Amino acid sequence: MKHCLLTHLTLLGLLGLTTNASARELPKVELQNYEPWEEATVHAFENILVQEGGRVKPIYTTSRFTLMQFSGKTTAKFETKDGEQHSLHHAEWMLDVLFRGEIAKQLPVFIVDDSEAVVQIGVSPKSRRDRYSYSELVAGRAKLAELSAQYSKKQQQFQENDKDEQYELGRIETMILTLGQNISSFEFLLGQFGFARKGEILVNGEILSPEFKEMAKTLDPVEMLTKMPEMTLDQLFQTVRQPVGDSEDERMFSDALRLFFFHANSGRGLDLFPPQEDANEDWRSSGDVMLEALEKKEVREWGTEQLGKIQAITNAQGESEEAFRNALQSFSDQQHQTAEDRGQGVRSEMEISLYRGQWFWRALYCFVIGFVVLAFSWFSPGTRFSKIMILLASLLALAGLVLDIYGITLRSIIRQRPPITNLYDTVIFITATAVLLGLIIEWFTRIGIGTLVAVVAGFAGMFLSVKYEAKEATDTITQLMAVLDTNFWLATHVTIINIGYAAGLVAAIFGVIYLAGRFICLLTGHQNKDLFKSLTRMNYGVICFCLFFSLVGTVLGGIWANYSWGRFWGWDPKENGALMICLWTLVILHGRMGGMLKDLGINMCSVILAGIVTFSWWGVNNLGVGLHSYGFTEGIWGALFSSWSILGIFLLMGVIIWFVERAKKADKKRAKSNKEAAASA
Amino acid sequence: MAKNSIDWSPGNWPKLLYQFFTSFKLATTVLFLMLLVTLFGTLDQVDNGLHKAKEIYFHSWFINETMGSLPVILPGGMLLMLILFVNMTLGAIVKVRKRWRGAGLLISHFGMLLLLAGGFITNQFATDDYIALYPGMSSSKVESYREWQLEVMPLSKDGQAEKAWLYPSDVLDTVRPDEQRTIQTEALPFDVVINGYSKNAMPIPTSAPMAASVTGKEIDGFKLSPQKPSTEAEQNLPGAYVEFRPKNGADPIEGILWAGSYYFDPREKPMPFTFEVGDQLYGALLAKKSRPLPFEVRLDEFIFERHPGVTTPRNYESRITRIEEGQPDKPVEIKMNEPMRYEGYTFFQESFGPAGSNPGDDMYSQFAVAKNPADQWPLWALVINGIGLGIHFIIMLVSYSSRARKKRSATEATS
Repeated sequence: MKHCLLTHLTLLGLLGLTTNASARELPKVELQNYEPWEEATVHAFENILVQEGGRVKPIYTTSRFTLMQFSGKTTAKFETKDGEQHSLHHAEWMLDVLFRGEIAKQLPVFIVDDSEAVVQIGVSPKSRRDRYSYSELVAGRAKLAELSAQYSKKQQQFQENDKDEQYELGRIETMILTLGQNISSFEFLLGQFGFARKGEILVNGEILSPEFKEMAKTLDPVEMLTKMPEMTLDQLFQTVRQPVGDSEDERMFSDALRLFFFHANSGRGLDLFPPQEDANEDWRSSGDVMLEALEKKEVREWGTEQLGKIQAITNAQGESEEAFRNALQSFSDQQHQTAEDRGQGVRSEMEISLYRGQWFWRALYCFVIGFVVLAFSWFSPGTRFSKIMILLASLLALAGLVLDIYGITLRSIIRQRPPITNLYDTVIFITATAVLLGLIIEWFTRIGIGTLVAVVAGFAGMFLSVKYEAKEATDTITQLMAVLDTNFWLATHVTIINIGYAAGLVAAIFGVIYLAGRFICLLTGHQNKDLFKSLTRMNYGVICFCLFFSLVGTVLGGIWANYSWGRFWGWDPKENGALMICLWTLVILHGRMGGMLKDLGINMCSVILAGIVTFSWWGVNNLGVGLHSYGFTEGIWGALFSSWSILGIFLLMGVIIWFVERAKKADKKRAKSNKEAAASA
Repeated sequence: MAKNSIDWSPGNWPKLLYQFFTSFKLATTVLFLMLLVTLFGTLDQVDNGLHKAKEIYFHSWFINETMGSLPVILPGGMLLMLILFVNMTLGAIVKVRKRWRGAGLLISHFGMLLLLAGGFITNQFATDDYIALYPGMSSSKVESYREWQLEVMPLSKDGQAEKAWLYPSDVLDTVRPDEQRTIQTEALPFDVVINGYSKNAMPIPTSAPMAASVTGKEIDGFKLSPQKPSTEAEQNLPGAYVEFRPKNGADPIEGILWAGSYYFDPREKPMPFTFEVGDQLYGALLAKKSRPLPFEVRLDEFIFERHPGVTTPRNYESRITRIEEGQPDKPVEIKMNEPMRYEGYTFFQESFGPAGSNPGDDMYSQFAVAKNPADQWPLWALVINGIGLGIHFIIMLVSYSSRARKKRSATEATS
């Protein structure tokens, strides 16, 4: 009966989710219809290389995180006037932005969490939380620029004045600042190839005179380069700034230069061109190439050649999609050849496969399904059916683990580093370690508890990784600062300390299972002493494991600090966090050996251990002090306090169990002494 | 009842003390209190900065502070570590039953004792200073990050000083902003009177609007405004009102000394406050405390690289030459995570400057210079500890899995 109820509830839940998803109305756009790019065109585009964040990567990665930053998602969904619904992949969206700007301007990709933010810039709001297109926001562009400049200054003052509260940005102010930054980035992307499309001025057109726009239809900035005299940039800027003379030639020259600078300025930000000199590592954007070629005659031939490649693509776009695709592919092939000769971008295909594979999402599904399957085993414990369910759930957890490890391995190979180099890596690594620990325990015990720990840890960790990535919306394969540039210490200290974190969290899951189980037994009157004894034994083992790795990891960290900063221990918040984990596990172990902690106490302490681990893992990075300030996460305190509150609920259960048990013992003792008194009387 | 009573007679005190110091309860309590001290000492860094929080919580015998409105009354880090050391020595080394099963724990406790002892030696005897050099420059002294001293020196006509009288930071740090203290030096023809010393201060022109709210005396158009100490103790720039009172009864000379007059770029020269007593010109300034090195260090080359297209430094390293008794040694490379150890000193590549420099600019390289007799102790402690814990947990795991296997076989046999 219970089984049926759970199945019904699960089905109802899934049905509800599906119905909800299909019934959700997509934003309507001012486009009659939308013609999607052919798949082959998208593939030809996505492997184009870009230098960003100190490394060369496929534009697939750039588009993924850019759309995530604007929209909070990696797809853009909308409905055209013909009633068709569309879901654009981030690479398709980026193709639109770079090559079909007028369409991209209509797509609702700018998330605004509170409509008050758009009201403040003078734009009509839609629903409270909604996505807006560039065209919808452009009416408030000037106000948005003014406010975001003001808030940006305020934010800077906040940092400069020791985080003085009077300079702290409010919620709406933060939203306006973010929106302003996103719109500005979008405009740069729109204007990237403006120089290659005669007459097309997609952004800031309002600041240009009609004559100027007319001139833009005929003037080719690349051709201009071949005719310009050699002058320094300063001299050229002077020419533009000077009052225009009376002669037609002077006016023409000044306007042409202004147009050139307009396109060069719009073309900054997307570094697509490997530099001419081998020793130089900085790639150039089309804007950089234009300015450099204008200033230095010796660069002009190379510069016009590079810019000509983009012109070839935009020209081909006018012919047919196949011609466009071929031009994209040709550009990409040439770029790859040059990059490979320089030893850059060699693993771009693998990077695309990492993101396309969505390994962490798939792992998340495995853990969720594993949990549901495991839940079925609880309705007939000890039976063959239950054992099969546990086995199935274990296999699903194992599949999730393999997917997680596969993703981690790909990331390690792509950047040629050990698994952990930043905060995001810690999430996926700790998840894999916790799941592995759970499965190892299951291997030894075969009662389903280890599997439960594995699927719970796997689900929580993968969910956190997905949420964290969406929240930060920046590339998670990052370049290392000089002090971290050591594979030896990354592979030893960082890995070991994170194994310690994982063990601490696994111990806490054991503690939670123990307390919840005991509490349910208390309410229902059931008894299962053996199970709880067994749980505590497993937990004890995990706590020992946690101590070993935390202690070794902490001391290794100290030795690393001694090599790089000249002191073993500096009471830095991150060091203290690790020390607190060691101290708390030592408290548990010594408390147990000294008889101060029994089963209930050990499990309650292991729940507290999770609070200490999360403080050490996330909290200390946000104190704003110390040498480990490279893991700051906006808004993490709210999430931490929520998680500590949840842990507090389980601790409260433990306290109730303790009181009830004490009362029971006192009753028993009283009854016994009454009995003895009655017998003696 | 009589069985549980404790014999408090003086003759039994050694036994009671031994029991107390070897007990698990004491170990657990001390570890728990250390956890609390670590937590509070970490949180306190937000308001007070690392250096002050360290002094209050970790290098102290007793803590009596308030954090927000919460009173924090706890034994200090030093006291707790001392008790833990005694407890571990007596309980885990002396008293513990010596058997093979406990060998791992015994070894790991040795490791922990070594770690604590190393920490104590570091705390008592280690020094940490820095040296900053431009390529081609050399120096045989290091300077303190946080300690400032008052230097008074006779100057030649061209402003050069051959010797100086030093008033150490210990003297200055104990002078409050509203306190007057006179320092008499026999060899100098004047007494130095410090009319208030601030650990972090800023001279303000009296014409500035904010000068109205500053209570200090105006000297030469400036007032010294005490500032809230920075959370980064290295950023503090102390200042003092000083008076030089000639012993011959002539009029005293008043001045403001401010650490901002000291140099921050290795190529700059300090600008002392100058005054005349009799016919002799003197200079006075607040300078960073310096220590001599037994050898000279010359920076030959500084290499600085950023990741392409971004401002994140990828690598910075220095090529230096040690010079002893005028003889240059072979060049040495110092980079992040690869320090130079020599004659008890360790040179670490710490940072570079001036701020905002780019690759190719004329830049200086800064080294942290540490001298620590227990430099390598943590490494040995780690090895001992790791071996000990490893042995222990392997024994535990083997014993647990064998018990679990037996239990499973028994269950299967029963069913």
